[in-house]
Amino acid sequence: MSDLNELVTRFQDKDRRALSRLLTMAAQPEQAEAVRAKFPHASGQGRVVAITGNAGVGKSSLIGQLVELLRKRGQTVAVLACDPESPLTGGALLGDRIRISRPADDPGLFIRSLAAKAGQQAVAENIGLMAEILSAFGFDVVLLETVGAGQGDTAVSQLADVLVLLLQPQTGDELQWEKSGLLEVADVVVVNKADLPGADQVQHQVHDQLNLPGGKVVPVLSASALQQEGMKELWTAIDTQPSGRQTLGDS
Amino acid sequence: MEHSPQRIVLAKIGLDGHDRGVKVVARGLRDAGFHVIYAGLWQPPEAVVQAVSDEDADWLGISILSGAHMTQVPRLLELLRESDLDDVGVIVGGIIPESDVHQLQQMGVAGVFGPGTPIREIIEFLGR
Amino acid sequence: MTADSSQPNQRWREEFQRSPRRDQPPTTVSGMEIEPLYGRGDVVDFADEETLGYPGQFPFVRGVHASMYRGRLWTMRQFSGFGTPSQSNRRFRFLLEKGQTGLSTAFDLPTLMGLDSDDPRSTGEVGRLGVATDTIDDFLELYAGIDLEQVSVSMTINAPAIVLMAFYLAAAEERGLDWKKLRGTIQNDILKEFHAQNEFVFPPVPSVRLVVDLIEFCTAQVPLWNTVSISGYHIREAGSTAVQELAFTLADGMHYVEQCVARGMNVDDFAPRLSFFFNAHNDLFEEVAKYRAARALWADAMRNRYGAKNEASWKLRVHAQTAGCSLQDKQPEVNLIRVAYQALAAVLGGCQSLHTNSMDETVALPSEHAVTLALRTQQVLAYETGVTNSVDPLGGSYFVEALTAQMQREAEVYFQRIEQAGGMIAAVEHGFFRREIAEAAVAYQKACDDKKKIIVGVNEFQQAEEKPLETLRIDEQVEQEQLASLARVKQGRNNGDVERTLDDLRRTADAQQNVFPTLLAAARARATMGEMVNALADVFGRYNTGAAW
Repeated sequence: MSDLNELVTRFQDKDRRALSRLLTMAAQPEQAEAVRAKFPHASGQGRVVAITGNAGVGKSSLIGQLVELLRKRGQTVAVLACDPESPLTGGALLGDRIRISRPADDPGLFIRSLAAKAGQQAVAENIGLMAEILSAFGFDVVLLETVGAGQGDTAVSQLADVLVLLLQPQTGDELQWEKSGLLEVADVVVVNKADLPGADQVQHQVHDQLNLPGGKVVPVLSASALQQEGMKELWTAIDTQPSGRQTLGDS
Repeated sequence: MEHSPQRIVLAKIGLDGHDRGVKVVARGLRDAGFHVIYAGLWQPPEAVVQAVSDEDADWLGISILSGAHMTQVPRLLELLRESDLDDVGVIVGGIIPESDVHQLQQMGVAGVFGPGTPIREIIEFLGR
Repeated sequence: MTADSSQPNQRWREEFQRSPRRDQPPTTVSGMEIEPLYGRGDVVDFADEETLGYPGQFPFVRGVHASMYRGRLWTMRQFSGFGTPSQSNRRFRFLLEKGQTGLSTAFDLPTLMGLDSDDPRSTGEVGRLGVATDTIDDFLELYAGIDLEQVSVSMTINAPAIVLMAFYLAAAEERGLDWKKLRGTIQNDILKEFHAQNEFVFPPVPSVRLVVDLIEFCTAQVPLWNTVSISGYHIREAGSTAVQELAFTLADGMHYVEQCVARGMNVDDFAPRLSFFFNAHNDLFEEVAKYRAARALWADAMRNRYGAKNEASWKLRVHAQTAGCSLQDKQPEVNLIRVAYQALAAVLGGCQSLHTNSMDETVALPSEHAVTLALRTQQVLAYETGVTNSVDPLGGSYFVEALTAQMQREAEVYFQRIEQAGGMIAAVEHGFFRREIAEAAVAYQKACDDKKKIIVGVNEFQQAEEKPLETLRIDEQVEQEQLASLARVKQGRNNGDVERTLDDLRRTADAQQNVFPTLLAAARARATMGEMVNALADVFGRYNTGAAW
């Protein structure tokens, strides 16, 4: 595996191409083990934030707004953007890059688009390892976009420092997430598309549900990525969460 | 053994915003099992090359309908070479007069596909 | 399908069932299924006076004027423009000499996107797909020697339309022309850019506000001017079906009407000057039905929904252009034939003006030879075919009337869906229109790839050797010339004045006032289009293509 060693050496010299190649290797089952050995879990300095929610809730627009905010504040950001893979063909349309509008050669931004197998609990293969690599490279913040939360060993709540759950008014998705157990595990909950009717109700209801007296404090915010509202408050809520990714990695 | 799907970045460079063709090709490639990364409209060549590098793509497909291909494409190829991305295959789609096709291929473009090319032809080409 | 229990009908059914079927499904270009035969039963609510009406009367299905082409032919308006303003000026004069009756101006990509010729992003694109214009001086050059009080001029521009309109009026003023006599159209339809063509700069809400500013100013000051050309052409070019083209275009028009009324304008003041621009695609009957349905839907909306009292407000006037997306680069001379049939559809559909594409347009801007033939196509249609002799000759056809009614119904379903999506702006921002169009485009491509739709010379009847067409090559010098001329203007002007006018522009934009007067002042001071667009962007922000693709 001299190839891998060479890449790691170049990676340590902040060679972005080497980073890119290592991410690809991490995504491939046959090579991931070897890569994992070089990037122990929770060793990178960068904060890993997972953004999860149903398709259509507005994750990528929200991520676009957060990236804008973070870059303006001088923070470097890496994004792992996921879209579902077609169960029939294995192909995927990965269109989240274009939601993030930054100048062409912004060295402080890195985006990798991934496909996750379809299904509500799906996360992209080895996404935790990929986030670790980006965190180790030196990005201040690593944003993971996932459709689901994974199950057991691939649980996103363990891979990330902060888990943000996005809800949408008028869909009843808060019930669905409650059933799957993710609502309890989220560190921050955001009701997106705040301009739509019903947003206030969902926000209050979920807030009361999650913030029982004497229990964990869970910020439940509202935001509208399209109107660019609520982003500063959201980032503050995320940033003030305690750090510490769990010691378990992906299977 | 499962082989990983091929990753292709599709982008439009220059100011032209007609994206019907690139959207249809994107879906066609998706249906053939590709992972298609759409880098969007109005992309400067530098942004496209950055995307190809960061996404570690196998292919780059450029759609260009404005007629400025003979200035834009060479620049793109040069940037790819400079960024050590020579092994990325480049295909170009759009309105390219026959007389320019040969020149583009000489420069390093792997394939040029005019409007109305059946998707199947592009898929077969990329499969080779 | 028409059904009665008569013996001839029975017999027809039996014979039809027994006959062979062709491989290609009997669907329109848009995929709408067509019955083998239409009869009286298919047009049950068919009542001459009420449903169909008369040409020139509500609901205008049969035409917006009583006499249509008996009285006056449609305007033969070929879209053109390339290179420098003086080169375009020469092409305009050439076309007027050849018998064209109105001018239509195409602008280059930088201009379409609100960029000056000297912007770094404009390199390689200046004067290629249209004429390059940066300042009022370019407008003086562009229409030099042409009596704008006699010749009607159309300008195809959207995002910076209001800036170019300011140039046009300021230039006309310098030439001593009377604004009240100027006739023409400016496309100024930003909504379809968000749906299809992607030539936008600012976000949807301020973009629509600029459309309304232009309508407001010109309604008062340039009464003969068509302030918007509400367009379906581009929506169709992006791959939509005919019904989507119809529905989305009318929905856009209704949104502008609502915004103008909300501004306090009287609908009868501005509505008569709203015009439409549709595609003329291959399926002749689908197109004819589309135009007729459009007239009925618009008349209904204007009279019954918006309460317009003036009949002129109810009339949907159409400029049509043959479908660019139907042109092929294999055996390009076959495009001449396609364009002829498409032009026929537009005329049978009752359009007011028509542009016919040139056969070589898939590879380059048209050569003089090709553009002449395109014009001749219209002339043969007008003078040799006899279709102009009677108004709405297809009226009363069982097929055409059934199809017209069907398209109307399907468009109305779309109007409801847009409402449900939260209205026009919400639907735009959530990508509703883009998704619909993309799906239609993919379905069409699949049908072609599977040979369910045959395209002559492309997936059938191919030819081995191709004779290369003589094509137009844009001179590399154009960019240099335009840059030089722009530099001269910048040198000769008073930069202090320019700065002041741009400050005023930013102020009026921010204060929600009509920006037209401040744009005029900036135009006269020789501010460039790019400078004015940037000033507006400082207030409105810029929009990227985040929406669904």
